[in-house]
Amino acid sequence: MEDKQFFGKLSQAVIKGDSEGLVQLVRGAVDKVGPLAMVEEGMAPGMTEVGNKFSEGEVYLPELLMAAEAWEEAMKILRPRLVAVGADIEKQGTVVIGTVQTDIHEIGKTIVANLLTPAGFDVYDVGCDASATKFLDKAEEVGADIIAASAIMSTTVPYQRDIIDLLVSKGLRDKYMVMIGGGVVTQEWADKIGADGYGELASDAVKVAKKLVARKKGA
Amino acid sequence: MISFLEVLERATTGPMMSAKEYDMKVFIPAVREVVKKYKIRFDPDNPCPSDDDIADRVYQAGLELYSKVGTYCTDTERIIHFTKDEIEQAVYECPKVVYFGEGPDRVEWHGRMPDDNTLPHCHVGSGTNTTEDVALRMVEAYGRITKGKTVSIPSLTTVGTLSASSGSPMEILAGINMMRIAREGLRRAGRPGMAIIDLHPSCASGIGTVASSNPEFGARKSDGWIVAPQAEMKITYDSLNQVAYLSSWGANIGQEAGPILGGYAGGPEGAAVVTLAYAFHGILVVRATYHLTFPIQMMSVCSTTPGMIFLISTSSQAFARNIGAPYYALGYAAAGPATKQYFYEAAAYLLAIQSSGIGIEDVHPNRAVGTNQALPIDSEFTCAFGHGNVGITRKKANSIIKKLQEKYLSHIKDPPKGRDLYECYDTETMSPDDELRRLYDEVVKELGDYGIALR
Repeated sequence: MEDKQFFGKLSQAVIKGDSEGLVQLVRGAVDKVGPLAMVEEGMAPGMTEVGNKFSEGEVYLPELLMAAEAWEEAMKILRPRLVAVGADIEKQGTVVIGTVQTDIHEIGKTIVANLLTPAGFDVYDVGCDASATKFLDKAEEVGADIIAASAIMSTTVPYQRDIIDLLVSKGLRDKYMVMIGGGVVTQEWADKIGADGYGELASDAVKVAKKLVARKKGA
Repeated sequence: MISFLEVLERATTGPMMSAKEYDMKVFIPAVREVVKKYKIRFDPDNPCPSDDDIADRVYQAGLELYSKVGTYCTDTERIIHFTKDEIEQAVYECPKVVYFGEGPDRVEWHGRMPDDNTLPHCHVGSGTNTTEDVALRMVEAYGRITKGKTVSIPSLTTVGTLSASSGSPMEILAGINMMRIAREGLRRAGRPGMAIIDLHPSCASGIGTVASSNPEFGARKSDGWIVAPQAEMKITYDSLNQVAYLSSWGANIGQEAGPILGGYAGGPEGAAVVTLAYAFHGILVVRATYHLTFPIQMMSVCSTTPGMIFLISTSSQAFARNIGAPYYALGYAAAGPATKQYFYEAAAYLLAIQSSGIGIEDVHPNRAVGTNQALPIDSEFTCAFGHGNVGITRKKANSIIKKLQEKYLSHIKDPPKGRDLYECYDTETMSPDDELRRLYDEVVKELGDYGIALR
């Protein structure tokens, strides 16, 4: 019962984006409660709730980012302990995400990154104005499953195709799933360039990413 | 007013921090603070409020917000700060009238007031993607709508068979080609002096602006040249390069901002305040003589939900009552072109902005996504709306908006796709097919029953 109450507090601290409060709770309990339980039974349900509310338009980007920040601060304490006890959070996959070359719009990919992380993905953000090579280099470095590329402007969407062209030319097309999104991106465009996944809205990303990882594992 | 050189100096001497730190530690807390302090509240039952007090509170909140957050320069990683006094002085001194175009097509654009009984500035056209084969006739069609006083020209995404990718030479060529095409289209429409004020949708970079502004290609400083920020309240050196060039040339500069409801600004209340605050950024940093806003809702990517209507109404009223410079708003409908829902959404948005005291522009169908989605009939509708509803009050607008929203809100998530230009127009004569003409006539009648006149 005590644990349940404690996990509820962890969850609430994440929902409120209360980094300080969450860190205090985690520090206070770190020798008594298992790190995996704190993550999976306490923090993760809070993060899932924030993600769901964000997708439904009940909370907004500031709440999502503050929750993600609180999560990250707590994880700085919990990560080494998870390693020490050999516990593993169930991982969905690894994603390299960014906004394509010459495009400096960051909100879309920031949201997607912040939704994917609590959903169990390891996310590596290559930032904005990222060349196809930058996406691929990072994907190779971290052993990614998915390359996720955002483009907001009609003049920058062609660079999403460049990522696929680069994979093809390097003989790596089958190694990575490519998902694309962004304001002017459509399913039609995704089909045209041979992308594996497309999300109309940032909130579609988790579903699409999970589907792609399942497809990759099944292949 | 603070000089542009002073702005540049502050861009290189202001407080330094990362963009993330600016978002999380400066911008978000400041928005939350002013929304609370000035008691800005969104009431879904009152999307277009007629209470001057809330408009003025949004103004005060925006003023205080901008004095706290300034504009973040992404290249120097510094904040360009202004004091409240400096902002107020700039508002006092900024031009309240702008002149566009040449000869008999020259127009004068003044600010209006909420519930104003003067004709709003009617702006036509669209900067959305259009194929090269039809771009000339599109501009000509826009030019033929004589109630439209200024025009937006399409964005070309190709140069022949090549993609006009951002930052590439193809983008520059697309910009130059579109400039030539647009001027020729307006000549064919008999309005050679009509001003194009969305320059430049095909090449939005600094170098694109400079390249396409050569008079040889038809560009004029009496057109309108737009400089955009990054969401939220950030500017790049590339944009400041545009300002340096355009202000030295003496061109009309427009500040364009697309604040995001659900983004860093938060909900409708914060987004309303941020939308208004962009005016200060526009006047001081961009040196704008006219202002365009196109807020969007992050999740629905459209502008016609109750929260969005509240946002655009209150921020427009705040601007009109307290700044009074030329200002207009662009809306995005969820519905595709040539659908009844598109016209319902467009009418709701136009009701909000016209009654709130600013200029009007075509609402873009299908969330402004896709190619050849904008239609000349959208522009005809905008102008007929503007002329037919002179003097409409916010109170009346609010009541009609609510009725219209009953018709379309449940379809926002899964809107009708509609038909693109090639599917519903004879692109040789640029006339709508019988089906679209019938649909339009039915819409005119339906809207008439709600008290909306189209003239």
